Amino acid sequence: MLHRHIVALRTDAPGAEDLAATRERLRDAFPRNATRRMTQLGLLLGGVLHDLAPTENDTVVYASVYGETRALEDYLTSFPTPSPTLFQTSIHPSGIQQVLIARQQPIRHFFPHTGQRHLVAHAVQSALLSPSPRTLLCGGEERGTWLLEHDAASGDTFAFALALSSDSANALGSLRLEQTTAAESALEAELRLPRFFSALAQREPLSHAVAPGLILTLSWN
Amino acid sequence: MSDPLRAQLKQLIVRTLKLDDLQPEDIGDDDPLIGSGLNLDSIDALELVVTLEKEFGIKISSSEESRAALASVAHLADFVRSRAPADRVPA
Amino acid sequence: MPSAPFSPPPIRLTATGCLTALGDAASTHAALLSHQRALQLHPVLGRDGGDSVPLALLPQRSLDETAPPNWLAHLDTLGAQIPAADWGSPRLPVFVTSSNFGVGSLYAFQRTRDPAHLASGTPFASVDRIRQHFGWGANVSILSHACVSAHLGLLLATRTLHAGLADRALVFTFDFVSPFVAGGFHALKILNNGFPAPYAARDTGSIGLGDGAAFAVLEHPDASPTAANTLLLHAQSLYNEMHHFTANRADGSGFATCLEPVAAAARDRRLWIKGHGTGTLEAGRLEADTLAQLFPDAPLVSWKGSLGHTLGSCGLVELALAVESLRDGRVPGTIGSEPPFFRDNVAAEPFSTAAFDAVLLTSNAFGGAHAATLLTPA
Repeated sequence: MLHRHIVALRTDAPGAEDLAATRERLRDAFPRNATRRMTQLGLLLGGVLHDLAPTENDTVVYASVYGETRALEDYLTSFPTPSPTLFQTSIHPSGIQQVLIARQQPIRHFFPHTGQRHLVAHAVQSALLSPSPRTLLCGGEERGTWLLEHDAASGDTFAFALALSSDSANALGSLRLEQTTAAESALEAELRLPRFFSALAQREPLSHAVAPGLILTLSWN
Repeated sequence: MSDPLRAQLKQLIVRTLKLDDLQPEDIGDDDPLIGSGLNLDSIDALELVVTLEKEFGIKISSSEESRAALASVAHLADFVRSRAPADRVPA
Repeated sequence: MPSAPFSPPPIRLTATGCLTALGDAASTHAALLSHQRALQLHPVLGRDGGDSVPLALLPQRSLDETAPPNWLAHLDTLGAQIPAADWGSPRLPVFVTSSNFGVGSLYAFQRTRDPAHLASGTPFASVDRIRQHFGWGANVSILSHACVSAHLGLLLATRTLHAGLADRALVFTFDFVSPFVAGGFHALKILNNGFPAPYAARDTGSIGLGDGAAFAVLEHPDASPTAANTLLLHAQSLYNEMHHFTANRADGSGFATCLEPVAAAARDRRLWIKGHGTGTLEAGRLEADTLAQLFPDAPLVSWKGSLGHTLGSCGLVELALAVESLRDGRVPGTIGSEPPFFRDNVAAEPFSTAAFDAVLLTSNAFGGAHAATLLTPA
């Protein structure tokens, strides 16, 4: 069984807030002039990571299904004269890189995951396997526009960051992952990122198969 | 007398890079564009190159060439004048 | 404060294979030994034209995507080399890594509005296509971090095995060129009409892009009796500068910080180095300088002057070629490059592996990401 204590949690779900409003709301989380090229997902990630203060000794695990959707959309429509900025920004894991580059914060171990049905399961496993004293598990999505019309983007905008530790001091809760061969761990077992975000944001406990052979337990103190 | 090409380039820089806090006339002709002052970086430079290529019909083929051309507005104006068709450049 | 290295214990590497524009690992290796260059000039936007740039595409594969993707059938020859097992079952995880996944299909959809392309356009959709194509189970993790993606897959698979969560692990990687990717690198002005010359001290840098796919099978060192010629991933190190998206710290400290744990593990070994070496100038110089300082007697090669940069797959493609070099006893030189080089550690010509007992493999990526793997006999 893999287990860590949740020692900090930040979430942000700005609803219909647009990029300019998010930039204005979160501007104090960034050095001056750092947000000019940042995406909404990057800004939100910067906001939830701001006072968690990532350090080089942390492991950072990042999870996003669609990544920088609007940069991807705009890059695709910039052809036949493709934009170098949008190309750069559209490449996973740009969102979290925008934040760490703005902070000029090196990270030794950085694991950016993507996926869909089992993204949470595998990102959590990656985080719980880390030997670092602290692991930051973060992620999110930004709502798409024309790609959303074709089910190739998220319909929601949100971001989260969890600080995980082996030390139980000041723990808010815990995250466990167990292997199982039980029958309920069927092929359809899954936990998608929006559902995981919702459980975090509402401090909702979870305990069920999240991928074939893996049971996740999220509990709160 | 001010150089209309330099003025056009300054407007282009502010517009392309969305420098909302800057007026074109605040950019000095000889100010370094990349690094200090404007705090633009190499990605900004490349974004400018895309706009310059479309606006003036010029071609910049390498990152080294773009860095040299974008040393300052004055450098850039000279570069554009040397490469662009005469009818694409203000007199 | 410097961070602790956190290199995992050694892990056994029991199988590798790759697919490039020059064929499988054996064919590619033989072609590299004879200085064959896979890169050829293609219009950067495929059927939409544009400047000519050096690309290395799989035989008969067009830059313009089809539905289903035109790279899918090509994976069959690679898949046939993967040791048979119930991959994707709970104890036999698969780690898939890529930088671009099926983004060529998204580009094709944007261009043609044919919805058939959308079935492969997102990362999860493209991986699921591969998973179903090979009949894997659902235990498939997906990692994506540009050109160090494959190294991340190896490290995470290593940790999974050492934690007792798996019996064996398959790391699989793929990255196929498209106008989306070629257009982007062309806009960054590093993919131009010049062919790459890794580590050459030229006035202008240039890269090529290439198709690539590869796999590696890892096992715990204690799992079964050691077969002859088994190899170990003896040390693995990562570091992310997070200084700038497209530039490294000018003092080379990012390269050094990643390499120092591996240098410690490689003490007393006689090694050769498969570097990243894409053909860019600044990063290439920093890389060559740092490697020469830390490993002064180690010859340095890069094969991207022939194969192009295979992006997210490069770490595993080049690992498979390094393994082939060890099997064959000869290491291909740095094709496409000639003196003067940044440093005199660069090997332009093939050389024998007889004098060496370890290989260092390095990759670097946007954001100042660095990865290094030390390969030794078991």
